[in-house]
Amino acid sequence: MFSNYRPKNNYDEYFKDNLNSAREILAPLLSALDNMGIKELNRNHSAAKKLLLRHGATFRLNDTGLKGTERILPFDPLPRIISKDDWKTLEEGLKQRLEAIDLFLDDVYNSQNIINDGIIPRELIESSDGWRPQMLGFKPPLNKWCQISGLDLIRDGKGTWHVLEDNLRCPSGVAYFLENRLVMKNIFPNLFSGRIVKPIDDYPSYLLKTLKELSVWTDTPKIVLLTPGIFNSAYFEHSYLAQEMGIQLVQGHDLVCIDDYAYLKTTSGLKRVDVIYRRIDDDFLDPIHFRKDSYLGVSGLLDVMRAGHVALANAPGTGLADDKMIYSFVPKIIKYFLNEEPIIKNVETYICYYEKDREYVLKNLPKLVVKSVSEAGGYGMLIGPQSTTTEIKEFSDKIKKNPRNFIAQPTLELSTVPSLCDGELYPCHVDLRPYILRGKDSWVSPGGLTRVALRKGSLVVNSSQGGGCKDTWVVGN
Amino acid sequence: MLLSRVAESLYWINRYLERAENISRFVEVSEAMSLDCPPGSAEPWLPLIDASSDRETFDSRFPDKKQDDVINFLIRDRLNPNSIISCIQMARENSRQIRDVMTSEMWEQINILYWNLQEGESIWELPRQEQLSEIRRGCQLFYGITDATLSKDLACQFSILGRLLERADKTSRILDVKYYLLLPSLDELGGVLDELQWIALLRSAGAYQMFRKAEQNSIKPNSVARFLLLDNNFPRSVRYCLDGISNTLKMIDKNPISDNPSKLECMRGLLKAKWSYIRIEDIINNGLHEAIDSLQIDLNKLHILIQDKYFINKEFD
Repeated sequence: MFSNYRPKNNYDEYFKDNLNSAREILAPLLSALDNMGIKELNRNHSAAKKLLLRHGATFRLNDTGLKGTERILPFDPLPRIISKDDWKTLEEGLKQRLEAIDLFLDDVYNSQNIINDGIIPRELIESSDGWRPQMLGFKPPLNKWCQISGLDLIRDGKGTWHVLEDNLRCPSGVAYFLENRLVMKNIFPNLFSGRIVKPIDDYPSYLLKTLKELSVWTDTPKIVLLTPGIFNSAYFEHSYLAQEMGIQLVQGHDLVCIDDYAYLKTTSGLKRVDVIYRRIDDDFLDPIHFRKDSYLGVSGLLDVMRAGHVALANAPGTGLADDKMIYSFVPKIIKYFLNEEPIIKNVETYICYYEKDREYVLKNLPKLVVKSVSEAGGYGMLIGPQSTTTEIKEFSDKIKKNPRNFIAQPTLELSTVPSLCDGELYPCHVDLRPYILRGKDSWVSPGGLTRVALRKGSLVVNSSQGGGCKDTWVVGN
Repeated sequence: MLLSRVAESLYWINRYLERAENISRFVEVSEAMSLDCPPGSAEPWLPLIDASSDRETFDSRFPDKKQDDVINFLIRDRLNPNSIISCIQMARENSRQIRDVMTSEMWEQINILYWNLQEGESIWELPRQEQLSEIRRGCQLFYGITDATLSKDLACQFSILGRLLERADKTSRILDVKYYLLLPSLDELGGVLDELQWIALLRSAGAYQMFRKAEQNSIKPNSVARFLLLDNNFPRSVRYCLDGISNTLKMIDKNPISDNPSKLECMRGLLKAKWSYIRIEDIINNGLHEAIDSLQIDLNKLHILIQDKYFINKEFD
């Protein structure tokens, strides 16, 4: 099976140095794979693709409309394996990080101690794209801002885990995370070969519980999922989650706000809504308070929320903390609010806003990755080692023009996992997006969505840039 | 409780699928029948296009009116909003919007039906009759899955409503279009071709076998018209559909009929009464075409009243 496989020089999650030194935890899987053989693996891979298409696990690229191409997120059949011990640390680290971020959001939108104590300059906060002054003075139910988040983790050349990004604004991908496991169980049952992989099917139950806990005013809340509609690239996920939780999938025009209450328009008149799991950005949520040209939102929703008659998950304004510059302050935020050291480290980050960092960045562009702080999805990035002199020059001008908008990080050799590329096994770079739910308690999905860069040599795992995904197994040693 | 938007989607999904199914029936039967007609002539085909009132669009795009043009226009033409492929695409788009309400088995059926009809799929390599029966079965499977997996609540009722409205409309159109085409040959009473034509008409409405069960005599225009319009038991007859529509509307609006009934309530009762208490002789004497015309106008009005009451929440827009 692996005779043609050549690990790279970085951290390979299946093999230590060469093909003879497979990691111990992989042994049962490798023998199951050997029994299967590459031919059958490829055959089953096509069956898996068909199954995903039948389930409608598809997305559309960039609002291409009715005629646009609809495709499945490429799925790779070789699972990514994480040991229970590693996982325990990660789980604690994620809970710690989110606890601190929630305290931070509550602080900056209310008493602002962290600013007054000089930990983060006011200017950096108020110039963030995610900053929502409309939320000043707001206290969300349970005092929690981020009910649902999905952080991006990576392993460096030594296999050490780092947080790469905090995604606190309706992160997507969880439906693929659940769907991948389903496909693995249907098509590749033999690979499980009798060992216990931590189940993940209870994510929708925990999500529902989390949403339910937000309606502190009633035990029988009406909960809905607010989607921008079928042209949104994550629409499959919206419908999938609504279905799994048995809640209604609604669009902005299905809702109306009257006298500080939010209602659904139904065939038997108006019905009150208590909790909205919204999958549209802050900007489009309420044309009265945010972008005036939004047709996706609901007029007056923010007032209903402030009146305490509807809960939004996540609360508006959480985007502040996933600003890639605020990210670099998270270790300080953890220290400040919890008086603890971060369990999972950040990636070393240069803040172009600071003159000293900026000088270093401008001098070392060819070896750095530069990111725009407000853009996601792999857009607005410069990968130094893979860029031409012209591209580097262009980026250096951009940085000088608007330093607040950029951070830089060393180019990381992301860890690799064997994956099918054109029918052969090839070491592909991966990251991990675990999902953290916070209601009265915190809960972390075991494993998460492993995104994989399926183009040979590519470091970008985003689905909009040719990335795919894998099932992720948390297993005992 | 059902969102207005969702009710509308369910209604249209079923209308579109019923439409697609009916078109495949038309074409299936007409193609089999065309073997009995002079080769290459499109005449017997054009009524199919009249039946979906798309004659103008067709004439402007296909002035030659070839048989293949007609078939293509009805089955695979994406520019024709009433082609099978367009109907199924629209049904799927609507399904995508309400996946939280459908059972996943319903969704998978309509999704797979859609993907199977894309260019380059193996269905297009089959003989045409097989293509059509495959499509027809695909639609019927969806009804079956709906029946067996969807709770019998509002969602189900709006589905049935859409299906029955479309069915009443299509059955009456088939009769309208074919009846006049066939009538001139009435003089040659009992000609072989004539009988074949009536059989074909019944088959397009999926009614031949059930008609035979109900009527053992030789096939007469009156009896065919009676069966398709007024049979109490045949599930595709106009009367049967109107009965179902009336019952379904009563289930949706659980309130007893008020002293001052709504417009929708009036139209529902009126249509039901009109088609329950009428004899085929009277319809024929007063003009079959006129009767069907007025039925279609009434069905349109009914559709608009349903839309105003349940799909558009006028009061707060």
